[in-house]
Amino acid sequence: MWTLARKLLLHDRLRFIVAIAGVSVSVMLVLVQVGLYYGFMDTASSLIDASKADIWVGKRSNDSFEFATPFDERTYYKVASTPGVERAERVLINFAQFKLPDGGDLGAQVVGVDSTPGERPLLAPWNVVEGDAQRLTQPGAIVIDKSEVGKLHIEHPGHITEVSGVRAEVVAMTSGIRSFTTSPIVFTDIRTARSFLPQLGGEPVTYVLVKVAASEEIAEVQGRINALPHLAAYTTEQMSMRTRDYWSSRTGVGAGFFTTAVLGIIVGFVVVGQILYSGTLQYIREYGTLKAMGAKNSAVVKVILSQAMISAALGFIVGAPLAMGMRAAMKGANLTVALSPQLYIVTLGITAVMCSFAALLSIVKVLRLDPASVFKA
Amino acid sequence: MTMTMTAALSLSESVPRVAAVPAQTSLARLVGIGKTYGSGENAVAALANATLDIRPGEVTLIEGPSGSGKTTLISILGLLLTPTAGEVWIEGKNVAGLGERALPGLRARNFGFVFQGFNLFPALTALENVAMAIQMKDPRAKSPKGQAKELLERVGLGPRMHHLPADLSGGQKQRVAIARALGGNPPMIIGDEPTAALDTKTALSVMELLRELATNAGRAVVVVTHDPRLERFADRVVRVEDGLIQAIAAPSSSASSSVSH
Repeated sequence: MWTLARKLLLHDRLRFIVAIAGVSVSVMLVLVQVGLYYGFMDTASSLIDASKADIWVGKRSNDSFEFATPFDERTYYKVASTPGVERAERVLINFAQFKLPDGGDLGAQVVGVDSTPGERPLLAPWNVVEGDAQRLTQPGAIVIDKSEVGKLHIEHPGHITEVSGVRAEVVAMTSGIRSFTTSPIVFTDIRTARSFLPQLGGEPVTYVLVKVAASEEIAEVQGRINALPHLAAYTTEQMSMRTRDYWSSRTGVGAGFFTTAVLGIIVGFVVVGQILYSGTLQYIREYGTLKAMGAKNSAVVKVILSQAMISAALGFIVGAPLAMGMRAAMKGANLTVALSPQLYIVTLGITAVMCSFAALLSIVKVLRLDPASVFKA
Repeated sequence: MTMTMTAALSLSESVPRVAAVPAQTSLARLVGIGKTYGSGENAVAALANATLDIRPGEVTLIEGPSGSGKTTLISILGLLLTPTAGEVWIEGKNVAGLGERALPGLRARNFGFVFQGFNLFPALTALENVAMAIQMKDPRAKSPKGQAKELLERVGLGPRMHHLPADLSGGQKQRVAIARALGGNPPMIIGDEPTAALDTKTALSVMELLRELATNAGRAVVVVTHDPRLERFADRVVRVEDGLIQAIAAPSSSASSSVSH
């Protein structure tokens, strides 16, 4: 069956090339669009995913991770004293004005963490490629990402600048830490962050990160914190999903990317369906002859399905490297295309299903083919 | 003629005879067959009250003008069309009322078909065309390529078995089609104008091959034709006109005078 299917496909080279091109474009569109979506979502939840916390606690009224309302530090103590909490740390997230070397200002997302000398906080800058992030405990110390060099015009640690009019020194630089809002992330100690954000007043805290004692169940401690007034506690995984869902649904970015991916599938479906159908029509008398001589419908259907599977496999083999090329090209534009092994496997499955459905019209044609029709010249 | 007789001798040595069929026992029997298309005022009777025995070792020619019912007759015989009246006896059973699910097996065991247009897959070599048909008829067939090679050698196409149909002459293509029809060793070969697209010399050599399949391998060969010159290869000529079998007779003396079998 495979030999016949392969030879029927290859017999008309031009048609074969068009079929493979159709599937390849489809595979590439699906991989790149879904990869871009997951890339954006990874960016949106990167701060949460990189934390070592078991539970994130914020105000119950919060919708968005980035635009969360701060609460008073007394609430932090309530959370820290909840039974089962081994360790609690404060995080302050808000937006401030970053002074550029040319005198201009740029909105930046300040992330103040609870740093203590000699101890790694539950949330800290990661992928440090230059400088010393341990110096974050020093007043005015900040850490920025290499990918924002173009925006901030800061090439190396040691650069002195101002955030909201307060002196700041870049002590380290990271790689690959970006925010979904496109504003550069500025890591600093929570005390420095509060000095950058005087408009918030008092001693604001946006989130409390909790490490649960080893002897306790995370869900139970989460329940206890949720019982506190006006607070919502989420496991790190829940917080991550919540943030992804927020950006995906509120911005329509999910619908946009998936619509393009579906369009890619439709393109592949139409091209493969048309190619298979015209091929079936071309060989309809031969298929009829086989049926007349006793070939079962299932045997003839296998030939058509095999052609669909060959198209799917070759289309994937060509389309996947194209997507990898696109990923490399987009990296230069600071766009992350997250191509995971799971995405490749799912896309291969989608391609096989797409090609199988595309073969349906041809299959119906041969199933309905009257073997007596071979006598009608 | 001399060349094809040589080919026929080798054919008789290699193509297995149809086993366990006593001489003059029917392989297939059509009894009172009728076929009407449509119903009511639009009903058209394509065939009426047709009775015919198909016997091993015989070449039966079916003649008649266009639209006379020849194709309907062989379609019913080949189990490709269900009659509206009468009985079709094959393998000792009346199979006229069997559903479509039961028919592929019966067709595969009993019939090989040869067509005017050859109906060979252009993307497959002669060997692959024959082997694929063998495998389609019986997915558990042992060494389909080996069987196909043997059949092609016996129809004189051994040296060209790896050629595509486009690289073969009309006569060679029809020999491939005959080899394909022999795949699975069916006792009956049905030909629908198998020589119509061939020149006279090639047509005669193809008929000689079919004749030899009947004489030396015990096949029943049923051929629809418009060409009275082919009568000399036949044992019986069935004359069909206006949906009725008008006559079943020996070939006319002028035609049969040159029969060489």
